[in-house]
Amino acid sequence: MIDTAIASLTSGGAYALLGVGLVLTYRMTGVLNFAHAVVGAFGTYTAIVAFEAGVGYGAAMILGVAVAALLSGGIGVVMARWFAEEATIVRSTVTIAIFLGVLVVGFRLFGDTPRVVPALLPGVRLEVGTVTLTGSTLLSVGGVAVLAGAVAWFLAKTRTGIVLRAVSERPTTARLLGVPLRTLVVAVWAVSGAVAGAAVTIIAPTRTNDYASLAILILPALAAALLGGFQRVGATIVAGFGIALVELMGARIPAVARYRTVVPFLVILAALLWMQRKEVWDEAR
Amino acid sequence: MRRGDLVLFGSVAAATVLFALLPPFWAFLASSAFISALLVSSVGVVYGRAGMVSLCQVTFAGIGGWVVGYLGVATAVPYPVALVLGALAAVPVGVVIGLPALRLRGVNLAVVTLGFAVAVSSVVFVQGFPGARTNDPVTRPGLVAGERGFMVFTAAVFLVVAAALLATKRTRLGAAWEAVRHSERATAALGLSVPFIKLSAFAVSAFVAGLAGGLLAAQLGFLNARNVEPVDSLVVFVIGVFVGAHHVGGALLGGVLGSFFPELLRRLSIPQDVGPILFAIGATHILAQGGRGLAEHLGRRRPAAGGDVVVLRPEGGAPTRHRADPGRDLVLRASGIEVRYGAVVALEDVDVEVAQGRILGLIGPNGAGKSTLVDVITGFHRPDAGSVTVGETVLDGLPAHRRARLGIRRTFQTERTVPALGAGDYLRLAAGGHLDRAEVVELLAFLDGPDPDTPVYAVDTGTRRRLEIMGCLAARPTFLLLDEPAAGLTEDESLRLADRLRQVPERFGVGLLVVEHDIDLVAAVCDELVVLDFGRVIGRGAPDEVLASDVVAEAYLGV
Repeated sequence: MIDTAIASLTSGGAYALLGVGLVLTYRMTGVLNFAHAVVGAFGTYTAIVAFEAGVGYGAAMILGVAVAALLSGGIGVVMARWFAEEATIVRSTVTIAIFLGVLVVGFRLFGDTPRVVPALLPGVRLEVGTVTLTGSTLLSVGGVAVLAGAVAWFLAKTRTGIVLRAVSERPTTARLLGVPLRTLVVAVWAVSGAVAGAAVTIIAPTRTNDYASLAILILPALAAALLGGFQRVGATIVAGFGIALVELMGARIPAVARYRTVVPFLVILAALLWMQRKEVWDEAR
Repeated sequence: MRRGDLVLFGSVAAATVLFALLPPFWAFLASSAFISALLVSSVGVVYGRAGMVSLCQVTFAGIGGWVVGYLGVATAVPYPVALVLGALAAVPVGVVIGLPALRLRGVNLAVVTLGFAVAVSSVVFVQGFPGARTNDPVTRPGLVAGERGFMVFTAAVFLVVAAALLATKRTRLGAAWEAVRHSERATAALGLSVPFIKLSAFAVSAFVAGLAGGLLAAQLGFLNARNVEPVDSLVVFVIGVFVGAHHVGGALLGGVLGSFFPELLRRLSIPQDVGPILFAIGATHILAQGGRGLAEHLGRRRPAAGGDVVVLRPEGGAPTRHRADPGRDLVLRASGIEVRYGAVVALEDVDVEVAQGRILGLIGPNGAGKSTLVDVITGFHRPDAGSVTVGETVLDGLPAHRRARLGIRRTFQTERTVPALGAGDYLRLAAGGHLDRAEVVELLAFLDGPDPDTPVYAVDTGTRRRLEIMGCLAARPTFLLLDEPAAGLTEDESLRLADRLRQVPERFGVGLLVVEHDIDLVAAVCDELVVLDFGRVIGRGAPDEVLASDVVAEAYLGV
């Protein structure tokens, strides 16, 4: 059991990172970003291609994260420029179109076969009692800790963070107060893209990593964000680790091992059933 | 059917004949186009008309194809019957995954359908479709065995589905889909169950997609997982957004984009994946324009807002019949109402009573809790304490649409009519039951409405606000709650509205509760006033006395 839990930490951390990115873009800019994971996958594949072409390992990884940040920032520009006043459903629909676009462009550039992805921090191992933590696991869990801490600190303590919270609650008011809304929105998108790039790169060596499979990481991320109510960062992180644990426990039972992709779907169903205890109405009167 | 639609159907029939004369390869392409057009139509129902995002339409097609294949291998059911059964099989599946998503607002359906598409693909479809392993293809009966015959068959299926979907636009359900796309609150206020309406749209779209899958299975012999991948659902959805899938023309255009366009790219030696990229760009462009698809741009132009509005004047005539039994004077009573948001008390121990045939005014400064009280009475907000009754009937716990059906109607501070409907159709939808043309015209005349055929989007805000009131009255309610009906009206309009509201209790047998800031209107119309301030009742009584009292002056002016 402990082995399973430890083994699920890498995936769990990545799900949590992706889920937190979804929650942040939803809270700050009112978009459910379906293109989130595919942008991360695009960054990861850029890193792989660069590495295969002879770019140094660290440089390639940084390049990948940077590309994901740029791509996501670009989506942010589109959102801020053309869809600032639209309803959440419209903006989310736009991200579905972008999901498709980035997916297909990636197919063309990267093909649809899995690659050998070098594990991150290959030499690093941490022995705690009988348990061994690999470099990937440490990065994943550490990444979550750093991100969670940074988000909490940023939103509570910095002026920009407070402004961003104001923006998410009252966009028009914030703009009237002279907040440079577009710049902030684009920055949120870029940061969330960078986190997605890092998360997908961490998880890529540990599983089937063709481009489409990595793009489908949007599902566990959505499930985690849904359990966090698209509001709570902490709950999303816990949910990310929980989903990975359930997946891996399933994978160790031979009879259900092949159905691992169903886990996020079942979590989504359960979360929705739980959430609809009370009726919720659309925008205020 | 409108003239433009007739021309479109005629053109499809003519094109079908033309393709039947060409070599079979072209017939095959044309069949693919009709199958794609069906898939795009399914997006048109769920997204184009009901405004929800579904990302598993191709999965429904796969289910339809799976069942058709299974029935072909395991039974002697003839193909057309199997086709319908396959489509029907997709419906309960859609209901099961739609139910949890549809009671909640927003994009939950998109999330759950994406998860469903991936799950079914990797668990069911990947194991192969019935007949594929044993090389036992779906057999098409004699007439449609050849490519040309089959193409004619797919065209016929598409036309029947398109005609049926077009016919639903004139029905109550079709109007309800439009309403729910526009505003869930307003839909519930019309007495319609929001989850049921959404679910019906999703189920119909699953059926249409299932049909497409059954056709695809017959076209190819059997399906394999590659034919029905989750990404195909994304492509179909994005095409649907791009073309305006709720129009027949849009669906056809989508079919052409899904079938002939890749072929064109192939012949031009352009990589075929350019297609989806262009669709994605096109869809984004359409959304940025605030449009509802390419078909709307290519087809008839919308008349400019504020166009020819025909104002009908009342012509005297017999007074409207009352549905409410005049012998039973019901009383709507809210007692001990309390609403808290955390530490903030929005309403505290509020008692309000309206009798049928009377007009109660509810006034108070902004934030006093007036609209919250309306929300509580009409079932949009559950109070923390207190009870709402009509006569002997206790309404507590009843959802908003059930209260509306019991005859408690409301309007909103911002108008929430359904822009895509005609004024008459809107009234019919709001009425909830039968409403003949004479009644429509009479209602429109009573409150200076437009001609019944004028689309709602073409009239000004003041007229829409009155249309909303007319819609409520059309339902013959026992009580009507108006939330700031004069907001945004000109002074003349406001005076005229006051005059008409005065007549409402007598004419329609309704008890009115009017929330209003326009003190002149309140003084002119109401029999009794209740004043709210910081969630408490600070005054009540006859309008003259209440408006003259010191407490009220203090609450309003701070003196």
